[in-house]
Amino acid sequence: MQVFHIRYRNTQGTLMRILSAVSRRGLDLPFVQAEPEEHTHKVTLLLEVSPKQVGQLFRDWRAVVDVMDVRAGAPISNWDHSAWNTPHPPASVGNDGAARAAMA
Amino acid sequence: MLRGADIVLRCLRAEGVDLVFGYPGGAIMPLYDALDGSGVRHILTRHEQGAVFAAEGYARATGKPGVAIATSGPGATNLVTGIADAKMDSVPLVCITGQVRSGLIGSDAFQETDVFGMTLSLTKWNRLVRSIEEIPEAIAEAFYWAKSGRPGPVLLDFPVDFLKAQMEFKGPSIFKPQPQSAQASESTFEATLIALLQQAKKPVALVGAGVKLAGATDNLQELLDTLQIPAFATVHGLGAIKQESPYYLGMVGMHGTRAANMALHDTDLLLVFGARLDDRVTGDPARFAPNAKIVHFEIDPSQLDRVRACELPVIGNLAETIPAFLNEVQHAHFPSWREWLDETCSQDRAEPPLSGLAQPTRRFLDELFHRLPANSTIITDVGQHQMWSAQRYRKNSERGFITSGGLGSMGFALPAAVGVQLAKPTETVLCVSGDGGFQMNIQELATLHRLVLPIKMVIIDNKYLGMVRQWQQLFYDRNYAETDLSDNPDFVAIGQAYKIKSFALYEDEFRPEHLSAETDQRLKEFLASPEPGLLVFECHPEANVYPMVPAGAALSEMVFEEE
Repeated sequence: MQVFHIRYRNTQGTLMRILSAVSRRGLDLPFVQAEPEEHTHKVTLLLEVSPKQVGQLFRDWRAVVDVMDVRAGAPISNWDHSAWNTPHPPASVGNDGAARAAMA
Repeated sequence: MLRGADIVLRCLRAEGVDLVFGYPGGAIMPLYDALDGSGVRHILTRHEQGAVFAAEGYARATGKPGVAIATSGPGATNLVTGIADAKMDSVPLVCITGQVRSGLIGSDAFQETDVFGMTLSLTKWNRLVRSIEEIPEAIAEAFYWAKSGRPGPVLLDFPVDFLKAQMEFKGPSIFKPQPQSAQASESTFEATLIALLQQAKKPVALVGAGVKLAGATDNLQELLDTLQIPAFATVHGLGAIKQESPYYLGMVGMHGTRAANMALHDTDLLLVFGARLDDRVTGDPARFAPNAKIVHFEIDPSQLDRVRACELPVIGNLAETIPAFLNEVQHAHFPSWREWLDETCSQDRAEPPLSGLAQPTRRFLDELFHRLPANSTIITDVGQHQMWSAQRYRKNSERGFITSGGLGSMGFALPAAVGVQLAKPTETVLCVSGDGGFQMNIQELATLHRLVLPIKMVIIDNKYLGMVRQWQQLFYDRNYAETDLSDNPDFVAIGQAYKIKSFALYEDEFRPEHLSAETDQRLKEFLASPEPGLLVFECHPEANVYPMVPAGAALSEMVFEEE
């Protein structure tokens, strides 16, 4: 697993372009978080990638018009999935209720 | 006070646009209502895909952005193939779509599609305009990104209510991009590159479209004249190197020349100028230029290392990096590469004598191309005729050979030729299609008939989807599944139905050593006519394109003719 931090101007579609560089390669995206950072935005992604894909992703991201900076963190060997295995929607709502809401 | 639609057109004029291609519909009607008197000429195609390919043709012929207009929903989705095509081939293209009114967006309204979302991964930049006030700034930014760096497609989606709304117009905007952080680049590449060249025993140069897009062909020619190393071009690089250059080996890749492919296989230093190293150029990536170090001149960093890591990336505008390199080359000393150049041009690397079922078709193209004026443009569709045309192309013209190379979009040629002819009204425009591709946008015959565009159309009719059939023959045990077009319509009759002078020629006329006076005369009259013309050439159904590097093979493993 590898962590990437991308700083970008939060213009229309920029975050989606960043994410589509991941989805077009069929990569799983177990964690993503976007947040404001000073006058710009930052998105953090966790990906299982090969070294070749790291290079491709860097270049694809840097080619996005409003991406300002791309950095990679140290590889993570023991990613703790448990924190992300809590039910969604919250267990108190229940799947039946969620399905009804979606159909409405 | 001006309507949003009037503001759009004024901003287009400010960007230098006087010609657009499109197809009207509900959500874009205000823009069409404002066209009259705007100074923008609109070309009505008969399908939105025709409009976007025509805009591409105009852009490829001029270097200026082409503009395509469509309505929401199906109008917008019909643009998508052309947008993807422009992205792959670095064509500056501005697409304008109408959208349902802003209050209805997201409600699955009639003819609503999320064209912004659909084209995110196909465009360089796009925007759903959110107010009438945004229009001038959005148009300025769209044109900036379409033209800057590696050119490409952009899209502007205008909700219909903003096109109808009014505001005080204070003039067009000028877009100034905010700086990105510094790109990783080799700022002192010249010294490293000179050292690599001095160590190289078998250097070669591979030239792609980037050289032409940068306007750097003269610089490149001077560089190659100085270095005297073997050089070859991709299909989009054709015309960038003068054909008569003693070091020019022709087209490289799947259907390239033996000399070019063998030199690329054997090289120990590959200089790439503005090419993506597409898989049609490299063959099996694992066995591509196996002994070579790669130096890659490229404006778009995202194109580097796609196939193999390069030893030296030279990122930047080739109009600046090639002269900088040339300047250093002129002051450096290199070993002689004469022996290597002689080897690449030697007889055992020359093409075998042409024979086989495709020979009359190649001869036909030779005779046709030979009769074209120097400043003519050839546009091809996609398939066997495209590769035969590329192999037979012999002009020294930067924008003289136009084709859908990256995406390989059948149906491209006819509408693209409309755009080229409008861009170059006094020049000869030759559109070469196959029988399959021609039928994909055959409706554009009506466009060129209405405009009386003197486009010369050629259909190479083998009554098959020929390239797919060739692969079925070679790799699928002749299982010609769903490629048979033997029930093709009478193309001559179709041309005549559009009031276009049409006729057919046959293979037998191109077998004798000398053409008959009658055939010669018919070719000359066809090309010289001030009106549109359609020539149907009946080609052998099983004629194949050779040489060929089979899928998964190395460039050195070419196949020649039917054996």
